[in-house]
Amino acid sequence: MIKVENVTFRYDHSGEPALNRINMTIDKGEYIGIVGPNGCGKTTLVQHFNALLYPEDGRVSVDGMNTDDESCVEEIRRRVGMVFQNPDNQIVGMTVEEDIAFGPGNLELPSPEIRQRVDESLARVGLKNHAERQPYTLSGGEKRLVSIAGVLAMKPEYIIFDEPTSYLDPSGRDRILSLIEEINKQGIAIIHITHNMDEIVNAGRVVVMDEGRVVLTGSPKEVFGKVEQMKALKLDIPVVTDLAWRLKQRGEDIRTDILTIDEACLEILDRLKSPHAS
Amino acid sequence: MYNWGQYVPGNSIIHRLDPRIKILSVIVLSVFILKVGVNAGLLLSVFMMAVIFMSRLTFQRVITSLRPFIIFFILLFLLHVLFTAGTPIVRFSFCGLSITHEGLYRGLYITWQFMFLVTGASILTMTTVPSDLISGIEGILKPLRPLGVPTHDIAIMLSLALRFVPTFLGEIDRIKKAQMARGANFKKGKMIKKIKNITSLALPIVLSSFRRAEETATAMEGRGYKRGPRTCLRNLRMSSADYIALVLMVAMMTGIQLMAL
Ligand SMILES: Nc1ncnc2c1ncn2[C@@H]1O[C@H](COP(=O)(O)OP(=O)(O)O)[C@@H](O)[C@H]1O
Ligand SMILES: [Mg+2]
Repeated sequence: MIKVENVTFRYDHSGEPALNRINMTIDKGEYIGIVGPNGCGKTTLVQHFNALLYPEDGRVSVDGMNTDDESCVEEIRRRVGMVFQNPDNQIVGMTVEEDIAFGPGNLELPSPEIRQRVDESLARVGLKNHAERQPYTLSGGEKRLVSIAGVLAMKPEYIIFDEPTSYLDPSGRDRILSLIEEINKQGIAIIHITHNMDEIVNAGRVVVMDEGRVVLTGSPKEVFGKVEQMKALKLDIPVVTDLAWRLKQRGEDIRTDILTIDEACLEILDRLKSPHAS
Repeated sequence: MYNWGQYVPGNSIIHRLDPRIKILSVIVLSVFILKVGVNAGLLLSVFMMAVIFMSRLTFQRVITSLRPFIIFFILLFLLHVLFTAGTPIVRFSFCGLSITHEGLYRGLYITWQFMFLVTGASILTMTTVPSDLISGIEGILKPLRPLGVPTHDIAIMLSLALRFVPTFLGEIDRIKKAQMARGANFKKGKMIKKIKNITSLALPIVLSSFRRAEETATAMEGRGYKRGPRTCLRNLRMSSADYIALVLMVAMMTGIQLMAL
């Protein structure tokens, strides 16, 4: 469990806090979405989870280990992997396989074990045939997959994805999203930051941030159902939810906690079959 | 761009030699070619030819790798030809310079030596994967570890540098195009204007590489990097071919030394 207790953080000591008294917990195996306007502190928050930043006030612990505790940092960073927003700057190896070997090498694992983890991770993200390629010859989507493989090779318990679909075309996006879901099914907790609400309609929980605070939290249905509040924060909501909401604005008596096209289909069919439903 | 001595995939005996042996051999050969006389120089050149042959690199490829240095070779040659005292062959009365026997001989010989150095280095890089090259350097420095030389960190630094060269070149290209789209011209125009344009290129590049470096450093930390010992995907292992190559090199160098060729 990642436990964030009353955390406040400032980048410069006189200025506005980037995080303001944040409280939250993330359980093993959970899938949690974090949304919020640009600059609201999402990246800052998740960098506290693997001891890249330390709270100015309050505390963060991972499976009972405090991130302030120097002797735990190595293990915390193994357990909590992070896929950064720009994969180009995360890849440090001269070839794909060497990059994936970077993390396990830092754990000082013996070479045969590193080899095994590299091969496993490459297979998991579907890049088996690209082991020897040089990073600059890869497409944006492939770079992202390499950085995910690099994290998987650490055998983490939690993986943070910081806007993992930015700069990707739709097919690259779908590939990453289904990979994230697959990873979650294998029991690894996912912390998924995004601007695209459609990506997290299947998350277990959604956290909405604004100006360094958590302003809303709950299941996707609960959160996206609060359309007015989301709109006030200038946040998008899933397209289907928006449609339902607009219909309701025009006097149609319709549920507004519809998140996916499938649900919308069912609702519409329902109404077509029984026009007197409302 | 980025072509001199670039790795040429292959599976020749030279490709498969331990990078430590290759690097040490190039260093030893370079030292020898600079200090020995003509006879030994010829012998070493024949040896180099044999290595090129064994590496299955085409001669054309090796010659191409010398191309960026041609101006340097020509200057080196002319300098010695024109400024060595001795028996003149041709005299240019207008400037008092003359081509001498000795100059011609020295010019040819020294240019030959430098071509040998460059060839040796480019055969090394053409037959060795860059990462092996770095493990090789790390391996050679390993005995210095007890003296406090941070060999692991040096290796990481070198590999990061190589990793980011293409990224950096791509960045320059991108910013250049962005500036051209806004009307900058890097080819034509007055000197002052051109210099101004190039300066305007330098600032965004420096800024963006600082940002990139910071992000990369954070990412490395997040992936568990700390200074000091770490392990690698591949460990260098000497095979029998490596020992044979080592013995061969030692024998040849001792021979040259003893016979004072
Ligand atoms: N390295 C930094 N130095 C100073 N201020 C920063 C730094 N990184 C982020 N900030 C500031 O902290 C706030 C939160 O940023 P960030 O966590 O990156 O937001 P988000 O990821 O939600 O877009 C912003 O106001 C941003 O300008
Ligand atoms: Mg961010």
